[in-house]
Parts: sequence; structure tokens; C-alpha cells
Amino acid sequence: MLTVLYDGRCAVCRRARAWLESQPKFVPLEYVAAGSQEARRRFPGLDHDNTLVDLTVVGPGGEVYHGAKAWIMCLWALRKYRGTALRLATPELMPTAKRVIAWVSRNRFRIGQAEAWKTL
Amino acid sequence: MGIDFVVVTYCLYLTISIALTVWVARTLFRNGRVFLVDVFHGDESMADSVNHLLVVGFYLINLGYVTLALKMGYDVTSTRTSIEALSQKVGWVLLVLGGMHFFNLYVFSRIRRRSFLEIASPPVEPDACIATSR
Repeated sequence: MLTVLYDGRCAVCRRARAWLESQPKFVPLEYVAAGSQEARRRFPGLDHDNTLVDLTVVGPGGEVYHGAKAWIMCLWALRKYRGTALRLATPELMPTAKRVIAWVSRNRFRIGQAEAWKTL
Repeated sequence: MGIDFVVVTYCLYLTISIALTVWVARTLFRNGRVFLVDVFHGDESMADSVNHLLVVGFYLINLGYVTLALKMGYDVTSTRTSIEALSQKVGWVLLVLGGMHFFNLYVFSRIRRRSFLEIASPPVEPDACIATSR
């Protein structure tokens, strides 16, 4: 079981959560809004301000993954995308994955203002 | 009455096609086994079972094709036309066998890939480790 701490204030993140929910999985995912009471109660040792900056995934043993690593862990949990996760985690693709995820993360509110996301 | 070229051609066609099918199926059976044992993580009885089922399917499709493709639809009256007809027929059988063989390899690699993915561990190291409380 992986716990996904996502930013419930942003449309892109909510959309991503809905997509993750719809996918068949190898490993079940649960979703907790980052910075929420529940998140603070369950993970007292976590830097909660940071979870509102980058997507965060917490593993069953308390392993914490941030940003691109968290995304790769989400993909790794999905049946159809585990192969993609393994490919993205290679030294050749990891730097690009990090750059892309960091850019999306920085601009997520601006991306979220685009018309297509308004209905979500 | 001389030799019936059509019947001779049919007999040769069946002999060659069936021999080829048996040869390819046996190759597949022998070499596929090693592969499947690996896919099923050393479970030999499972590997043998899947291997057997695949080979039965292979025989059915190929022999089905060979049987359906028997009829020539034109008359064969000399050794020359007989050989020509035979080469055309056997050529098609070879192509179908080749296609089926590659399809089998594709199925093997799909099964192998899936079993590899199911046991793959997380590809990235965690950034930190914390205590959790339910």
C-alpha cells in the first residue's frame, strides 16, 4: 500500500488523482490531501510544508518519495505503467523526468487555469 | 493408365507439410520449455503444462491450414507442373509456419515480460524514512 499526498487545491493534482484511481494496480494506492489534519496525524515525522510543494508518496515502511520519484512510484504501482516507471528511473531518463516534473509542479496552478481543467 | 500426378502431388504435399509442422513444433516444444520454466520461476509442472497447451494449439492451426490448402483447383499433368505446384503449396506452408512461430515467440516474450514486471521492486530509492501511525 502506497499513500499519495497530493495537493487538493490544484486542478491538475485532482485530475491526476482521478486518473490514478481509474487505473488497474499491482499495489493499492490511497490518497490523502497534503497538509491536511489526517496527513499530519498519520505522518508526524513528515515535512508537511514540503508536501504542498511536491507530490509525496509514503511507502508501507515509512519510505518517503518526493517529486519525480513520487511520480515514478505511482506509475510503478500501476499494472499498465510499471514498465514505463522502470524506464523513467534509468540514469538516462531520470534527469529529464525530474526536470519535467519540477516544471509541471512549479506551474501547476497556471496549467490548472486553462479552460480544459475548469470543469473538474 | 499412367501415374496420377494430382494424387502423387497431394501425397508429397501432405508428407512434406506434416513433417515440417512436426519439426517446428518439436523445436518449439524443446526450446520453449527452458524459457517457460524461467518465466514461472522454476515451477516445472506449470511450465510443462503451458508448453504442452501452446504446442497443441500450434499443431491444430498448422495442420488445419495444411488440410484446407490441399486442393489445387487446376490439373497437374507432368512432373514439372507437379513440382511447381508442390513448391507453391509448401512455400505457403513454410510462411504460415514461420508466422506462427514468431507469434509464439511473441507470446513467450509477453508472458516473460509480465512475470518480470510483477516481481519488479521499486525502481527508485526513498528520499527519507519516517515513522508512521495509523
